[in-house]
Amino acid sequence: MRLSRDVAIVGAGMTRFHHKIHADKTSRELFVEAALEAADSVDNGFDMRDVEALFVGNFSSDAFEHQAHTAALMADWLGLCPRAATRVEDACASSGVAVNMGALAVASGAYDVVMVGGVEKMRNLTTEEVTDTLAMAADDLYEVAAGFTFPGLYASLATAHFAKYGSSWEQLAAVAIKNHHNGALNPKAHFQSSVMETAKKLGERRGVTFNDEMEFLRSPLNPVIAYPLRLFDCCPVSDGAAVVILAAAEVAKRFTDTPVYIRGLGQASDAMSLHDRADLTTLRATRVAAEQAYKMAGVSADDIDVADVHDCFTIAEVLATEDLGFFPKGEGGKAAEEGRTALDGDKPVNPDGGLKAKGHPVGATGAAMAYEMFKQLRGEAGRHQVEGVEVGLTHNVGASGATVVVQIYGR
Amino acid sequence: MDGMEFTVKAFHDFLAEGRIMGSRCRGCGAVSLPPRPVCPECGGRDLEWTELEGKGIIRAYTVIHVPLTRMKDRCPYACGVVELDAGPRISGLILGVSEGEKIEVGSRVEAEFVREGARTVLCFRPV
Repeated sequence: MRLSRDVAIVGAGMTRFHHKIHADKTSRELFVEAALEAADSVDNGFDMRDVEALFVGNFSSDAFEHQAHTAALMADWLGLCPRAATRVEDACASSGVAVNMGALAVASGAYDVVMVGGVEKMRNLTTEEVTDTLAMAADDLYEVAAGFTFPGLYASLATAHFAKYGSSWEQLAAVAIKNHHNGALNPKAHFQSSVMETAKKLGERRGVTFNDEMEFLRSPLNPVIAYPLRLFDCCPVSDGAAVVILAAAEVAKRFTDTPVYIRGLGQASDAMSLHDRADLTTLRATRVAAEQAYKMAGVSADDIDVADVHDCFTIAEVLATEDLGFFPKGEGGKAAEEGRTALDGDKPVNPDGGLKAKGHPVGATGAAMAYEMFKQLRGEAGRHQVEGVEVGLTHNVGASGATVVVQIYGR
Repeated sequence: MDGMEFTVKAFHDFLAEGRIMGSRCRGCGAVSLPPRPVCPECGGRDLEWTELEGKGIIRAYTVIHVPLTRMKDRCPYACGVVELDAGPRISGLILGVSEGEKIEVGSRVEAEFVREGARTVLCFRPV
């Protein structure tokens, strides 16, 4: 795969991801907020009329808000009609795929400037209804009918990984601790407190004192959701939107002196059901998509300075850091435990807190990863800035890995 | 059975008879469970029905504590990916297990055909 011409991000915006603050908003207001912030972020100013087409990642506003046909709705509310507006649905990878679709549309020469975003308003439903809705991304007839919830699918991948490599829940806990630490440094994140701060707060309410994070994470205050995964192994249910503006390289400098270029991209599919996959300790689609992206960008895993990977569950980050080639198979958890993926580690992963702490309004996640790379590569990430970033990678997974999309960014 | 389409309904109808039926590709020999109209290995469309014995091992599993709405009354319950001795894998409820520590990857299980309303569900029980 090769792009006919280069594409860059020239602006990016996102709402804060949260479970409460958007209670009085619907997805259209969230998307408009992110889109306007993206327009306002363009250094040399941006006229919304420069947008030639809109791509919107959205998993299921149908179930969450009883609203389908999301892309045209967003175009309408942004004053973009009659421009082409396309919704992309690939479960939790919806807007990651939308970024690829937008980039390909620009690379093809069809458009010079497109807007790509994602949105999900999930908190209208109860936890059980959200569980039902997310499970729609798995095989309804053969996985959900067998009792699998979404956390249950990743929990199963965890048991397979533990059994094959001797990895442990303690290693998963290290991922949660690291991502909450990072989230606390990100004003856009859903959770803005470390695991220890949360332990103190929750402990005080119940008259319990925890000496360290692990004592709290092993306690009943961190209940099992799907064995072996506990509450702090799971991303929260969040509302939010994120938007980036993509431009052809030849026009990008009109908008900013420091565009962030998409150097490589990849996308792959895999069997929908876990039972149809030969290896339950790896996401094959991650490996295939990453290989495409590395090849296009002319880089290897070693060249990646910062990565936003899909950690809907802690085990997912472990799988990702292995399947992307950052660490050998079976050693992703150990790497997290050793601090190698921390902000100051040799391979910083999810500096923004990841899905785990930043939140995961599913359709918005891929675009929010692009937003993060725009900030990181321009040195504008604030307190969670990684030092000396030249090359960044994003990795967005749909469901249990039946869709994976990878992008590589450079300056 | 010859000529019967490889549909979801056919698979469930066989379960109601206590049989686990998959599709076998006459071209490459790959067995699909549940059955499919196209071989995922080679793209072959010349397929035949094949019966599989309901004995195997757990390859991956979980115990669900936060359930789907319709599974609310069963919680906590176990489900997982079972690899039949003949090779193919399938997802199923794992009966009689409510604690993750009670089974492990590699535990042996046997199929049970559980009637739920009009449907028969393929489940497994540790042996």
